[in-house]
Amino acid sequence: MTSVDKAIHWDPYNPAYFNNPHPVFTRLREEAPVYYNEEYDFYTISRYEDVQAGLADYRTFSSSRGDILEFIKANNPVPPGVFIMMDPPVHTAYRSPLTRFFTPKRVASLEPQIRDFCAKSLDPLIESGEFNFIENLGKEMPMRVIGMLLGVPEEDLKTVQSDADAKLTTEAGKPMDLTEHTFVGAGFEDYIDWRMKNPSDDGMTEMLNLEFKDETGAVRKLTRDEVVIICSMLGAAGNETTNRLIGWTGKVLAEHPDQRRQIYENRALIPQAIEEILRYEPPGPSVARYVAKDVELHGVKIPEGSSVCMLVAAANRDGRKFANPNKFDIQRERLPHLTFGQGFHACLGNALARIEGRIALDEVLNRFPDWEVDLDNAYLTSTSTVRGWETLPAYTSKAKRRPGGKKAAQAAPQANTPAPIPGAESWKLTMKTPMGPQEMTAHLVRKGDALTGRLDSPQGSESISHGKISGNTLTWTVSVTKPAPMQLGFEVQINDNALAGHAKLGAFGKADIVGERISS
Amino acid sequence: MPKITFIESDGREHEIEAQTGASVMEMARAHNVPGLDADCGGGCSCGTCHVYVRPEWRTHIGEPNEFEVATLEFAVDVEANSRLSCQIKITDQLDGLVVTLPASQR
Repeated sequence: MTSVDKAIHWDPYNPAYFNNPHPVFTRLREEAPVYYNEEYDFYTISRYEDVQAGLADYRTFSSSRGDILEFIKANNPVPPGVFIMMDPPVHTAYRSPLTRFFTPKRVASLEPQIRDFCAKSLDPLIESGEFNFIENLGKEMPMRVIGMLLGVPEEDLKTVQSDADAKLTTEAGKPMDLTEHTFVGAGFEDYIDWRMKNPSDDGMTEMLNLEFKDETGAVRKLTRDEVVIICSMLGAAGNETTNRLIGWTGKVLAEHPDQRRQIYENRALIPQAIEEILRYEPPGPSVARYVAKDVELHGVKIPEGSSVCMLVAAANRDGRKFANPNKFDIQRERLPHLTFGQGFHACLGNALARIEGRIALDEVLNRFPDWEVDLDNAYLTSTSTVRGWETLPAYTSKAKRRPGGKKAAQAAPQANTPAPIPGAESWKLTMKTPMGPQEMTAHLVRKGDALTGRLDSPQGSESISHGKISGNTLTWTVSVTKPAPMQLGFEVQINDNALAGHAKLGAFGKADIVGERISS
Repeated sequence: MPKITFIESDGREHEIEAQTGASVMEMARAHNVPGLDADCGGGCSCGTCHVYVRPEWRTHIGEPNEFEVATLEFAVDVEANSRLSCQIKITDQLDGLVVTLPASQR
């Protein structure tokens, strides 16, 4: 019998899962196909069959309150035009006229410009021996392409992009703050007002002039506010997600140099390689839906009014659908992954994302047949909407790489570890995080009931603050930046040469700690 | 095994022996019939496995569902007899089916 399993824990905000959510996704999919998270009050489904069926069943799993958990919970009114947050027939009325901007035919016609944007970004870096998949390509090319498509002038692109990024990025460990969230992107209003008076042959003019049948059956043009909102939504979607796809392309292919070589030698493999990257590490690992009527799945009742998180990333690795699901294999049998969703809400820009991803890879390979990623200086974030690299440096010339490659790079922080603090007692700690045990060393200095010192971990050395001693109990906090900026709150009990306790990871989640004294 | 004939826009014909239960798109791909991109791999979400079905086959195949109708908006040169081949499941009744391919999927 399957029931709501409390032993497994997952939420999209917990940084412990950012680096590698796949082990917990596997557990959810195999042990708790309907998982309920009490803390944030949402359900999760993760099997391919369930996610696929759920995406198609909009009458049960509604988009009317949004496709992000925080939006569904907030239940703010959805402004006209935000078709991502609507069900048919209103959704259809808005989306249908917009498909023309994103048809495979139309986006294919952009190929020369997309190649040109890649060349402009990459050519200056050929001699340098290094480039950053995100800074130099992922943040540049998709932004220029969506800008060109909509008709946003070059000088305004960065404003639109940072606006979109700020909306979709959350503080690590926390849900999105909706109090400051607006649907409307600043920067677009002025431009659209100007464009209304100065029509051109760009997408925005076309959007302002197109006629469509709205949900009441009336044939009309989009209002100025609707165009603002639609452009803002398309701009955000066009920037953020393809950027992540480009990052994952850099990361995953660096880890699979044999397959990268095959692609380099036979570019006809690029489309299937991009599909496999999309399956393996989807830029949007989950989508959420509002439960519009009671539904039962695997013996679990999901009541009307609940929120459901559909784990696309887990479904994409469901062994019931994909053989050897955790293996990255560009030659695998081509079956539909769920990264772009399915049904009415399937990604409007899927053809654009695909062509951008394919061209980006082709143009990278034209200049850099191989590369190594510098994960020590890379930074990964994950929110309830996207998961991917914020920065991903890569070395394209052998000379730039550190001797011994990644191994040496990992060992490097050890050499920089500061010397032990005089008079400190040192403890070897093992923190049992959901990603496996993490080892660290605490150097603690007692002064009355105050505690100072330092915590050394593979991520670096950080000072201890708010340290207190109360009998055998020691408490302190450490602020860390990796794997994500957060505060760790420690509380341990000392018993001679052993200690035990826990650390709070950011605002959410706890990890048990055990430790032994290595010096006093 | 039902036989299916694909006719390219230039008139070239490909007759294949199809497997029941598979989709027309999958069979075209399995037999290297050119002209079907099928980017999404059969998820009814990309509109690049567009074919024209001869009217006499319509009753056997049935009408496209709501998702297919929506996704057909991505396809090029859509006509009344346009279908997405990933959504046509092959049955014994479809023996002799003829589908025509558009000049391009994009």
